[in-house]
Amino acid sequence: MIYFDHNATSPLREGVAEAMARAQVDLPGNPSSVHAAGRRARAAVEDAREQVASFLGALREEIVFTSGGTEGDNLAIRSLAQAAGQRGRRHIITSPLEHPAVAGSVDALQEVGFSVTNLPVTARGEIDAGAFEAALRDDTALVSLALANHELGNVYPIAALAQVARGRGALFHTDAVQAAGKRALDVPALGVDAATISAHKLGGPKAVGALFVRRGLDLPPLLLGGHQERERRPGTENVAGIVGFGVACQLAARAQQTEETRVLALRQRLERALLSIEGARLFGVGDAGERLAGTTLVGFAGAPGQLVAIGLDLEGICVSTGAACTSGSLKPSPVLLATGLPPAAASEGVRISLGWTNTEAEVDRLCACIGTIVARVRAAAGQGLGWTADVQDAAIGVHA
Amino acid sequence: MSGGVDSSTAAAMLLEAGYEVVGVTLKLTNAAGTAASIGGRCCSPRDIDDARATAAQLGFPHYVLDHTAAFRHAVIDDFIAEYRSGRTPNPCVRCNEKLKFGPLLGFARAIGADKLATGHYARLESTPEGPRLLRSLDRAKDQSYFLFGVSPDVLAGVMFPLGALTKDQVRAAARRFGLANADKPDSQEICFIPSGDHQAFVEAQGGAGPAGQVVDEAGAPLANHTGTHRFTVGQRRGLPTPDGQRRFVLRIEAATGRVVVGPRDALLQRSLRVDDVRWTQAQPPAHWPLRCAVQIRHHASATPAWVTAPDQGGAAVELDEPTAGIAPGQAAVFYDGDQVVGGGWIA
Repeated sequence: MIYFDHNATSPLREGVAEAMARAQVDLPGNPSSVHAAGRRARAAVEDAREQVASFLGALREEIVFTSGGTEGDNLAIRSLAQAAGQRGRRHIITSPLEHPAVAGSVDALQEVGFSVTNLPVTARGEIDAGAFEAALRDDTALVSLALANHELGNVYPIAALAQVARGRGALFHTDAVQAAGKRALDVPALGVDAATISAHKLGGPKAVGALFVRRGLDLPPLLLGGHQERERRPGTENVAGIVGFGVACQLAARAQQTEETRVLALRQRLERALLSIEGARLFGVGDAGERLAGTTLVGFAGAPGQLVAIGLDLEGICVSTGAACTSGSLKPSPVLLATGLPPAAASEGVRISLGWTNTEAEVDRLCACIGTIVARVRAAAGQGLGWTADVQDAAIGVHA
Repeated sequence: MSGGVDSSTAAAMLLEAGYEVVGVTLKLTNAAGTAASIGGRCCSPRDIDDARATAAQLGFPHYVLDHTAAFRHAVIDDFIAEYRSGRTPNPCVRCNEKLKFGPLLGFARAIGADKLATGHYARLESTPEGPRLLRSLDRAKDQSYFLFGVSPDVLAGVMFPLGALTKDQVRAAARRFGLANADKPDSQEICFIPSGDHQAFVEAQGGAGPAGQVVDEAGAPLANHTGTHRFTVGQRRGLPTPDGQRRFVLRIEAATGRVVVGPRDALLQRSLRVDDVRWTQAQPPAHWPLRCAVQIRHHASATPAWVTAPDQGGAAVELDEPTAGIAPGQAAVFYDGDQVVGGGWIA
């Protein structure tokens, strides 16, 4: 099996599983307990907190462990906005490109009376700084924009945007889940108030993550009934997960520079081959802007992306069509729709996300078979895929 | 793969016969966060989980295709519109025609598969003129009635591994394969109305027909009613019996809101019209009028009949025997012995 879906999840880095197994066995205590077993577990959690903090360039007390990216986004957005709302700020700025965890949290705030500005985006999925500045209001509570987009791989100028937001007294949260581990990350330099990361996107275990919250900010808990994480996130800590997370951060940081260079070279090799297929195009900024080293969102005109992805899967090659959290057949990608593509074209995206495990031989293997797969999908799609026209329109959301 | 015992067993049989099998399940309805999301009808999340588990157990790849929007448009909206216009829809036929067969065969071709196999109880016999669609050998489970709308070019790419088996044999095979759903009950209700309460569903979806009067054959009012969608041709339940005589719904007039009722004899009909006639083989019948047997609903026997040559998709059917319960909106399927020749929608 060849794994090209590092944006969905990245395999455990070498050494992480061992550290977690040791923690499971050697650290049976509850970190909140007063006895020796508790103290040992607590010490391991705090060591991991130091590792995560150092990975982000943050302070230990600025790290809140969570169950992952979705919880981190929910906690940051809903908690910070509610707190700001009590000071009379009830406006949120976000973009239509955000991960469902961000979009869902913002929707929930809208339902309780916050007003929301969804920033306009360009055809390449860029956010216009001028439009952002114009969207800021005196009552803007919070801005939430991803550091890197999960589908396009676009990297956004968060430091500049956060500075503008700060000038207007608005808080700034960034979902850094996709960026973390794939590029150098210095959260203080970004100047954001909160940043979400997730362990399994950078070679750590699933179901553990961290929220960076700038020192001095109130973060009322969403879950209730415990004092853990300085009363910001109650619940007994996932000790082994947190230990594995810490180790993964350390390993990712150590490998980051060489890995990014190597992965970028693989991506360039991949994209040269993909673009030699007639009717292929790259979505997002392509080479015209900053992009994650390993993320390619490619489309083949007339070939629904999901069918190409399944064709590759049957060849033992794992890719996806977008956020793993959304399953679809002809369903267009919300991210590509937001860039202004019509539904049919927006359902053509195939996301190939490379990472630390990948090799040149694996890239060549994909390049060797994707042309045949695309041709077969196009042939079937050219005959309407068995749909009557009206039902197909409904399937891809033309009527929606 | 619906998640039920039939499609699971069909997959296991093909695997045993040496085919390379890829499982596909359609997600057709949304039930996020509701009790129905753990329900147990065809295509619910629970059933999708069952299909996925079967594929994992047997060791072949499995995909879920989310066709919720297409299903809503082609099947549910049609169902509601039919009730609103005083007809009795058949969503399973519509789903087979619009969603299950054509698009799944299109999917199969797109991923490089040679055939689409399903767990339907029906048979396909290959002939030089293309496959003939036949009833299942298990007449009690026969589903050929639901398949008349599947086009000849699609049928050419289809396999029905269960067509020669009885339900008991299928369950026995499922147990032999060790399938967890070997004893899962058959689905009975329409998949998108797990409660079985069609009226409540249609009302909730804004498809209620007009309120009006229940009248006798002479047009004399017998009672008021709250919506034509609450009636089906042939229905007896819930009708007024002022003189102690049993009455049946003869006709539903959505335009006026009138529901015409009468004695059972008045239900018997020899002539009907069908629309949107199609044939299961590329070469339509050559001799007209066509001699065949016509089945007017799933649980009915076929009645010998003559069918006129279609004109703009419509045809006249003359049954040899007067037949009760011919409901507009249902399918009239034409059989020659065990073979499904074609069919249409009762006008």
